[in-house]
Amino acid sequence: MKRLSLAFLLMVAGTAAQAQQATAPAVTSVEIPPLTSPDTGTRGNEMLQIGWDATQLIASDLKQTAELMPLKIKREDYVSYPEVTAPSFGKWRPLGAKLLLTGFVQSRSDGRIAIGCYVYDVSKGTELARKGFVLPKSDWRRAAHKCSALAYTAVTGTPGMFDTRIAYVAENGVGDGKVRRIAFMDSDGANHKFLTSGNSMVMKPRLSPNASQLAYVSFDSGRPAIKLLDVGAGQERPLVSVDAINFAPRFSPDGSQIAFSMMLGPNSDIYVVGSGGGTPRRLTTSPAVDTDPSFSPDGRTIVFESDRSGSQQLYVMNADGSGERRISFGPGAYAAPEWSPDGQWIAFTSRNQYGRRIGIMKPDGTEETFLTNGPADDSPAWAANSREIMFARLVQGGRSALYRINVSGGDPQKVSIPQDGSDPDWSGAMD
Amino acid sequence: MRKTVLFLTLALAAGSVQAQVLPFLSKRGPQQPVVQGIDALRAEFATLSGGTTVYYGPGNAVLTPPARTVLTAQAAWIRRHPEVVVRIEGYGDTGDTRDHALAIGAKRAEEVRDYLVLMGVPMAQVSTTSWGGERSGLGRAVTILVR
Repeated sequence: MKRLSLAFLLMVAGTAAQAQQATAPAVTSVEIPPLTSPDTGTRGNEMLQIGWDATQLIASDLKQTAELMPLKIKREDYVSYPEVTAPSFGKWRPLGAKLLLTGFVQSRSDGRIAIGCYVYDVSKGTELARKGFVLPKSDWRRAAHKCSALAYTAVTGTPGMFDTRIAYVAENGVGDGKVRRIAFMDSDGANHKFLTSGNSMVMKPRLSPNASQLAYVSFDSGRPAIKLLDVGAGQERPLVSVDAINFAPRFSPDGSQIAFSMMLGPNSDIYVVGSGGGTPRRLTTSPAVDTDPSFSPDGRTIVFESDRSGSQQLYVMNADGSGERRISFGPGAYAAPEWSPDGQWIAFTSRNQYGRRIGIMKPDGTEETFLTNGPADDSPAWAANSREIMFARLVQGGRSALYRINVSGGDPQKVSIPQDGSDPDWSGAMD
Repeated sequence: MRKTVLFLTLALAAGSVQAQVLPFLSKRGPQQPVVQGIDALRAEFATLSGGTTVYYGPGNAVLTPPARTVLTAQAAWIRRHPEVVVRIEGYGDTGDTRDHALAIGAKRAEEVRDYLVLMGVPMAQVSTTSWGGERSGLGRAVTILVR
């Protein structure tokens, strides 16, 4: 994580030549005195410890962003409880930070804790945002991520992606003996767990917007078929009851529907079905391979790939299957599109003489920009803030790793996971 | 009858552990000849058909003339052996994106099944699947497995 921040620093400090998009974002510095506590005695010490852990997590969250930079945090800098809501700005101004983030951790009689966070503009001496949470002690990380998001949103106006989940396929071994399991974790790598046993091959996990449900492709019947897993309860069921190969699931932005590919004839077409069940509705009818559907954030449009022109290209259609139109026209093939959560961009995998690279384009096909140099990148997945993309990169020996890259430029950073990984998916911000 | 044979083949192919899990199977007669049976059948299938794998051009699911020759011979053999079932497994191109590899592998497997059925093989005797870009090595191919 430290390496990440350094890379961003270098990127920002250096020229914009590295950045493939013209503008490097301006960086806002943030002063974060350790979260304090109104409690005293042993309980007070315990709360201060949680406060310090949360402070470190907030700083680590903000370091990962291109837009915010926390100043060095020091444990002895903690402020009194009244200063949380009434900071003495004169004390902070000489330190040069634009933002001040204060907070407290308080124990409650029901055994839970309350965590509050406040964001101030130091030079103007005004409060920009505040938020409070009551939650079990063990969930302090979530509150800390929310505090990070509070500061991030105050600066950028976009939701933070700190309290989000990532699902991917964990790979162990190489070749035909490779064991694949669906893995699930917080976006900072915490709470990592495996959701499938590894007895059969799995592919393409896709999280519902709030990460409560997960659709993935299972081969345990011998043929690829989508299963729908309730992440909390651990129960799962086939997405459709039809005996046909089906794959490439993606939730609609409100989580109520799943678009996917199914082969009821000799080729794959795009269907949509309620995430609670129902009869699949067919959206495409071309005699070509149509796959990888992804909804626009308003749920009214779907981008997908089709090889109907002879090579894979990106198409956009209305959510009822009408109005299909091609949007990609560059050399080679375009595949694996995913619509950004803010609706502004479509990420894709390009295949041509330069190999497989990740790129983005506007939903009308303009402003095509390549973010990676390949040569074996695939499966782009947007962060909730639409500023970052996670993708899978095939490295030496057929092994696969996950990387993330900022859409405004810079080098891809490897994601730290216990094993090899492919097919990443990133949830929306959790409420 | 076919069901019984299939059960035996599956159980025996999975090895002795499986046979212990299903002890009633061992009471149904000698196992050894059946093991030789499926292996011999597979060997004969491969030899008489000229192979168990057919290959495609990049990014398409069009059967080539050599592939049709192999499949025609396979169909004739499968028609003579109603006791076996055949699994058709498709593969994508190496280097293809994940879902397209899965889809094109499935389409290739469907092409093979349609051709075998056209050549008189009963639908019930064949099933298809796709491994997409997984199980590397084969690429742009369909394997026809007797089981």
